[in-house]
Amino acid sequence: MLGQRRINLLHRIPFLKNTLKSRVFQPALMLITLFVFTLAILSGLFGTPAGSRNFGIIFVWIVWWALLILLLVPFLGRTWCTICPIPAPGEWLQRRGIVNRTPGRLRTRRWRWPRRLKNMWLQNFGFLGVAIFSAVILTRPNVSAWLLLTFMMIGVVLSLLYENRIFCRYVCPVGGFIGLYSLVAPIELRVSDPQLCATHATKDCITGNERGYSCPWMVFPGNLARNNYCGMCLECLKTCPKNNVVINLRPFGSDLLVAKERQLDEAYKAFIMLGCALLYSGVLLGPWSWIKQWANMDTLPHWGLYAIGFLVVNLVVLPGLFWLTTALARHLVGQPVSLGRLFVDFAYALIPLGLAAWIAFSFGFVLVNGSYALGVLSDPFGWDWNLFGTANVPWTPLWPTLIPFLQVGALIAGLLFAIHIAYRIARQNSSGHRQAYLAMLPVSGFMTAITFVFLRLYIG
Amino acid sequence: MRRERTALIITLLILAGLPVAILSYQRWLRPALSPTRVIDIIAAIPEAGGFQPSAFKVEAGETVTLRFSSVDVTHGIAIGPGLGIDLGHVDPGHVKEVTLTFDRAGTYTFYCNTWCSPNHWRMRGVLEVNDPSGIAPTPQRDPVIEALNAEGINIDADHTSSGMSDMDGPPMPPLTFDSRPSAFRGSEISSRFNIPSNLNTATWRRSHTPAQGLELLTIANPAISKAAAADVIAYLWTRNASRATLASAASLYDKNCAACHGQTGDGKGPMANLTVKPPAVFSDPSHMFIMRDDVSYAKIRRGGMGTDMPNFGTVFTLEETWALVDYLRTLAVETQKNK
Repeated sequence: MLGQRRINLLHRIPFLKNTLKSRVFQPALMLITLFVFTLAILSGLFGTPAGSRNFGIIFVWIVWWALLILLLVPFLGRTWCTICPIPAPGEWLQRRGIVNRTPGRLRTRRWRWPRRLKNMWLQNFGFLGVAIFSAVILTRPNVSAWLLLTFMMIGVVLSLLYENRIFCRYVCPVGGFIGLYSLVAPIELRVSDPQLCATHATKDCITGNERGYSCPWMVFPGNLARNNYCGMCLECLKTCPKNNVVINLRPFGSDLLVAKERQLDEAYKAFIMLGCALLYSGVLLGPWSWIKQWANMDTLPHWGLYAIGFLVVNLVVLPGLFWLTTALARHLVGQPVSLGRLFVDFAYALIPLGLAAWIAFSFGFVLVNGSYALGVLSDPFGWDWNLFGTANVPWTPLWPTLIPFLQVGALIAGLLFAIHIAYRIARQNSSGHRQAYLAMLPVSGFMTAITFVFLRLYIG
Repeated sequence: MRRERTALIITLLILAGLPVAILSYQRWLRPALSPTRVIDIIAAIPEAGGFQPSAFKVEAGETVTLRFSSVDVTHGIAIGPGLGIDLGHVDPGHVKEVTLTFDRAGTYTFYCNTWCSPNHWRMRGVLEVNDPSGIAPTPQRDPVIEALNAEGINIDADHTSSGMSDMDGPPMPPLTFDSRPSAFRGSEISSRFNIPSNLNTATWRRSHTPAQGLELLTIANPAISKAAAADVIAYLWTRNASRATLASAASLYDKNCAACHGQTGDGKGPMANLTVKPPAVFSDPSHMFIMRDDVSYAKIRRGGMGTDMPNFGTVFTLEETWALVDYLRTLAVETQKNK
């Protein structure tokens, strides 16, 4: 299933290649998303406080989220990062230009990003930091707007201090999980012939040339083996004089089997994402009103308890249980691989399950609340506008009876795929099929148990 | 260069032009274009700030649109007294609005009438209507409460005790009933007895307890059984209001009182355990037969000091308050034919 089969889309679709190589393509899309983003911030700050009638809440947390988690990430990997407006002002200030390649170096203070932060930990803690406030962020337009504005301001400040997209690569909490889940996506940017890059003297993709900038994500496409740190900005496609950069269609989950770059920070990202999906499903969609009130900050002590519980589940309980699971797997097989290595490796099997869990969770509120989008499109601020005649479209849940089936389908598909990945990872660490099968059993049991918890929450 | 300049202009329009346009619209254009002044009021549980804003002023004759939105739980929005405005439930993230024109100066209360938190009863706001000519409204006096004060009656007497010692001289032994008094039965048998004229006078009944009525009735009819006397008194004390009035009072009771006092008046509403003192039990005839209507009226309008009973004088009209008093009477007795 996860072989080396690849289809070079740029070769198959010349129009696509021409479009993506154009310097206008990315800024044009970024300007559109920047407009929507600015509108979301303004509506959050100045529009109605009623979430269901506020453009910021509906378009960020329902429309954008649905696009991201149901379409872009699973099928197109980091494509969102190509058009994300958050780093745009900072990047354009750095470059002193928007469309064209401005001659000379980037205008920044040229500070050096600390080596100890060159990983995903900042993104992990950033995501958790946002997550513990999420019940408030998702429902209060002004809080949501300040969060988005803060992201953009951090992006601008970091762009002025450091070269390239430091914010996207090491800070953005959203970019962290998009990167992780892009490992599953069937799209990749790679080089056609790595040997050609290795022997290419000028390496324009990391130095830049008159056609484009050096890779803003600080990645060398020549040895790119996984999606998670390639932001699909397509600068390398423009700068490569050898025409060696390609965009491939490939089997789902190919990157999950790339063993050499697996790290603890990424493993923890997998735990955090799975844990958050589980906790959100319980808190936001579950029947326990008291915990929803705690998450909504009804009192500070209640919220404090909720936040501590949230962090403990994500950082201690879930990884702890998984540690015991991998210890059991190691014990069963008597593998020579260290427990720490096995713990990190097997954590990558949780990635498809986590993505499926987020998809299932999203079905629960995106289809139910999606119809609000029509109303806020015509009246983004809740000021009784009716720009497109849709302001009074009533709230209409979409296929409510179908939602449990979609959720169960996503979870089961995610579980089966995760078990398959667990087996393939086990094969990488063992000598034969039987040993891999035995090692994979406890991990599969763990993932099945987690899936049952989700099913219990969704269908009772 | 041309496309770079175009992109720069578009960027500036988005990052600077759009915010300036929106702010200008909100600050100047929207008020100028709107036929009415729009006041957005955010409803949150009292622990999170209650209504925001919790007070505002409008001019008499000015048409205003009040838009209520909830940011946390479901609230019920009503405005009183005397406006008859009940917007019903406002769910989190939703908006309900009402457009009003006040023809004279006065003070109104917007309040939540759906139990929303342990401090739900604090969830109120003040809408002050000013006369453009600067004439302040005359403060409304309440002759009923003034009369009670003049009589030396302690309105704040503990309603879980008889209260009679505070109101009407020497303490009375607690009343007991073998069965619930029936106003229906009382209406059928009342013609057989000699009803003292005081008992047929509504104003007298308002300022006396059913227990006092029971005493007069027994003196006038020595042969009357205890149960029949209770039935006749139940009938007399529940005939003040029409069915329609009682129905609307029941709705007011359910929304504003039942959370503590219970829908049947049993004192076991969902908030009963959270109040400083146990809520009064209106379904208990022993309690209701020693309660005066005017004292109940005063407690409703003024609130119960130190009991967590809020004042409803700023919410209900005098008529609504009397209707509620009459409705409370029906909770302690049978009003239908007992099958």
